[in-house]
Amino acid sequence: MRITVKKNLFKSSILAGISLGLCLAGCSTVKPWERGTLAKPQMALDAYPLQSGLRAHNYASREAGSGSNAAQGGGCGCN
Amino acid sequence: MNKLIPCRACQTRDDRNHDVAVPPEPLGYIHKRPVKGFDQLQSRAGDSVTQSFQLAGRASPRPSGLKRFLAKAECPSLQALTTAALLLPGLIASPVYAAEGDEVDFQYGHYQETKRNIYGLATDPVTGVDSVSKLKNGLNPIEVDSLHGSAKIALSDRVKFAFNYLQDTWGGATPVSSAPAAWGVNQPLLSQIDQTVAGATPWLQGTTKSGRAAVDGQGRPLVVNSNTNPESAATWAYTPNNQLTDILASASPETRNQGDFKLAYEWDQAAISAGAGISSERDYESRFGNIGGLWNFNQKHTTLNLGLSYTNSNTHAVLNHDSYPYIDSTAYRDNGQIQTNADRAGANILYGNRQDWGTNFGITQIVNKDALVSGDISFTRSTGYLANPYKAVNVLFVDPVAQADNPPNVFTGELKALLEKRPDQRNQFNVGGRYVQFINPINAALHFDYHFSSDDWGIQGHTFEADWAQPVGNGWVVTPRIRYYSQNTANFYTPYLVNNQAYSTTSSVIDPVRGQAYKDASGQVFFEDPTAAITAVTTTITQELLLDENGIPVFDANGNPVFIDVTTTTPILDANGQPTYTDKSGNPIPVDPATGFAVVDANGKIVTDANIINGLTAKTQTKPFDPGKLPANYSSDERLAGFGALSGGVTISKQFAKGLSLETGFEYYTHQASLKIGGGSANSFNNFDSWNVNAALKVNMEALSLARSTGDNVHAGHEHHHGAHEPAGVMYGHMLPKAGDMMVGYRYMYGSQSGDTLHNSRKVYDPDIVANGCGPNPCFIKAGNMSMNMHMLDLMYAPTDWLTLMLMPQFVSMSMTMDALAGAPSAPTFQEIGMLEHHLQNGHQSGGIGDLGMYALFKLFDNGTHHVHVTTGISAPTGAVDLKLNRNHQLDGGFMDYGMQLGSGTWDFKPSLTYTGQWQQFSWGAQSSGTVRMENRNQSGYALGDLFQTTAWGSYNFTNWLAGSLRGLYTAQGAIKGQYNGFINKFGPMDYPANYGGNYWDIGFGLSAMVPSGDWAGNRVSVEWLQPVLDNVNGYQLQRDGSLSATWSVAF
Repeated sequence: MRITVKKNLFKSSILAGISLGLCLAGCSTVKPWERGTLAKPQMALDAYPLQSGLRAHNYASREAGSGSNAAQGGGCGCN
Repeated sequence: MNKLIPCRACQTRDDRNHDVAVPPEPLGYIHKRPVKGFDQLQSRAGDSVTQSFQLAGRASPRPSGLKRFLAKAECPSLQALTTAALLLPGLIASPVYAAEGDEVDFQYGHYQETKRNIYGLATDPVTGVDSVSKLKNGLNPIEVDSLHGSAKIALSDRVKFAFNYLQDTWGGATPVSSAPAAWGVNQPLLSQIDQTVAGATPWLQGTTKSGRAAVDGQGRPLVVNSNTNPESAATWAYTPNNQLTDILASASPETRNQGDFKLAYEWDQAAISAGAGISSERDYESRFGNIGGLWNFNQKHTTLNLGLSYTNSNTHAVLNHDSYPYIDSTAYRDNGQIQTNADRAGANILYGNRQDWGTNFGITQIVNKDALVSGDISFTRSTGYLANPYKAVNVLFVDPVAQADNPPNVFTGELKALLEKRPDQRNQFNVGGRYVQFINPINAALHFDYHFSSDDWGIQGHTFEADWAQPVGNGWVVTPRIRYYSQNTANFYTPYLVNNQAYSTTSSVIDPVRGQAYKDASGQVFFEDPTAAITAVTTTITQELLLDENGIPVFDANGNPVFIDVTTTTPILDANGQPTYTDKSGNPIPVDPATGFAVVDANGKIVTDANIINGLTAKTQTKPFDPGKLPANYSSDERLAGFGALSGGVTISKQFAKGLSLETGFEYYTHQASLKIGGGSANSFNNFDSWNVNAALKVNMEALSLARSTGDNVHAGHEHHHGAHEPAGVMYGHMLPKAGDMMVGYRYMYGSQSGDTLHNSRKVYDPDIVANGCGPNPCFIKAGNMSMNMHMLDLMYAPTDWLTLMLMPQFVSMSMTMDALAGAPSAPTFQEIGMLEHHLQNGHQSGGIGDLGMYALFKLFDNGTHHVHVTTGISAPTGAVDLKLNRNHQLDGGFMDYGMQLGSGTWDFKPSLTYTGQWQQFSWGAQSSGTVRMENRNQSGYALGDLFQTTAWGSYNFTNWLAGSLRGLYTAQGAIKGQYNGFINKFGPMDYPANYGGNYWDIGFGLSAMVPSGDWAGNRVSVEWLQPVLDNVNGYQLQRDGSLSATWSVAF
């Protein structure tokens, strides 16, 4: 089991590295004055962090793969 | 914690200082800039002119200013949150907190599951045949009410601080284990009132007519029926049925509180942060800390972040007293995790500790001017007690040597539930990314997110998530969202187990030399030839409660206590306190004065010849099952089963001017075994749906400040010097000064009661309470300590100068412990004795939305020095008054006591008259207020007493920002009218309506501070402690310790 995890981790790291490399090659330079669109609130990676936190807590209480429930106090509370 | 800090490279400190007209704005906040022709522009281009002043790409409607602003633009990538941080709040350090834009947020959320399908055995009324059927599920599913408040404050240009407070209260039914329905694990439950089927009762040990749970040689569960009528155990029919079912257990409400903070230091291209927090609930406590760092490079096209966190959590779960006979916790008793706590009425408590280390690495990259991408990888290592103390696994123990009576291919056994066991470590990693694309023609943004997780429990999970953020003009944004999740099964998950050994084996203790061993009536073993035994002279007790080796009552499969109906005998003692013995003829047998027992000779023979064995019982020993024959780990927790989940919802947000924004969201979620990637798993019995809603209010201080500085709010300055606010504990004490003003406030109240029980104003002792506190009945218990927390939002708006409207939603939580009363009689029934013990061991908690207050304040007089206004208000009964305790010891929990309900349940009229005055540094005031119940009874059959309060205060401004106050308060409240119209266990004074209300005198000491300048100008924080001076209570009530009020408000 441990080996699988390590293998997966390794594979994923490679994937992440490759995608980053691709992007560095393929990403265009965006000058500061061209960043108006990226600055729009709807373009934020998470536009609703409060709500996302609540939903993440719900998911983590009901799913084994969407995050450990440690530190959310959910160990017992998430009956 | 979710946003990263802004990058500052493009903006020097000098720039910032010059940038007065357009100060930096927070991410995610659109601010309507007060420019001429704004309305016209807005109608034409909608969101394109409601700009984000987020440092990145700050666009201006003024072409001349465009370049100036854009030259200072900063990269949005830095506003990234790592998805890992989102998934693991607290655990994974979200790299750095974005304090850009000081902000105060409030959020309420409600989560609720749908009722699950429950299966069990139902008997055909005509044929008498048992078959597996869907049963009525009478248990309310779990619901959670959550409250979240947070503030982000820039302590200096580079130092940012954020804190969060969260509170969840939940109650309702969730699975405790699962098993084949054929084994009779759920049975129809009859209502205590009218004997109709009210739902299903869980039977962890199964209950079938045959008394058997059976499987065939293929491991298929079998329904057992009698072939003959009347029933006879001689012939049984066996029908395979594979239907599995959840076994649900209901929990009384419980509350969790969490507080955490984060401190960040920022440089132009980097930032570091550190944070810590604590989460506490009755049975679980987590403490966590984290550090994080962030670095921008590649001309801010790229942002890297790193985080590390550590969590230490302690479980201290009171095992349900009622469950002892049904749930085998031997494994945890043997390893020392379960201890008996004498301070909590002998409760058995399971202790456990777990530690979690988490680390994450994330990267955010600008792809082009319309897209950005982020990726992250995280690793979490958990060690220690990772199981859930309330989850069990049903095990059918099939004794191989007890199958002789069964037909071929049928195996019967004993069904038991064992507390689940999980590995003591887990290594999980999570990798994924998010892509954001701008959809130019319609100004929308598409988010796509994928994450993969894998752990050494064998669980692999995939999460796909997409949303579409669509601005629709006037500050409105509509965001539909869809999410799909799939996981496979943990390698130790099992819905139930069949094990090839006896649960326990009972056999006689044999003396290897002298054959069968016997004990006498006092429990002493005679190693004796049975033919030469004796009898003791005894008295006979006809019935006695059977206790196990731990002194805990033994229950049968129906949950009834087992009584020993054999005649248990005890020896009659002689004058010396020694047992007396006789032979068959009744002649006394001499006893050994040292041991007190009959004398045996060197061969082990009794000295007196008697061939009697009557009165002697064989000594037996019970050997438990061998845990080595069970799997090392086992759990039936549905969260470890394979399934898929599909959910979808929508978020709607509205950005108002002046930095105020509202958002609300809804989501529906369905958990289905058949949705699992790669085909459904067999666990469809676990299927359930849930939904959640939330609403949030956000106040952005910089936007408020900006609104003032640009003259958008010409009278804002008035607030800053309005030094005459009332003490924190006074409600509706001031009006807004001018038409168009708004105020957002938060009000917290804490009240505590403990110590002595009072009757009128006199301290009373237990015998008095027992005899007089509970009307015609005796009291069994009293309240030990009680605490109440109220969180209120205070929203005010002045449509005219002489009228202020006020809306006050409330969130309430309460907890109470109970103490046994000395000298109380024993409760009349065994069930009540058990229920009382449950009360003492567990206490009560409740929480959720309280009543909604709506007020109108009318100005009667104001000359600058003296001010009088009258308030009329209505309180709507939005708080629950039907909260009940869970069923226990075969007894309905019934209503929680009146004081634990969250609202009044009635529409209430709340008038008040307020006078305030102000002269130089002094201010003062007086107020009389009342609460009149406009209905005689609420839905639960009672009405709280009317309430009258009158108060007067004086206050002095020490400085231009700090004032102190002194106040006197008198309160009179009537007793409760009516009583519960449903079942309630009346155990203590708090269960009787007469023991509510009274007359109270208090003195209040308060402080009030107001921020005189800066972004937080006009923010006011007040606290007041109310110290009871005199209580004169109705009936018997717990004495008050005092109450604390704290308020925060900002007007704009």
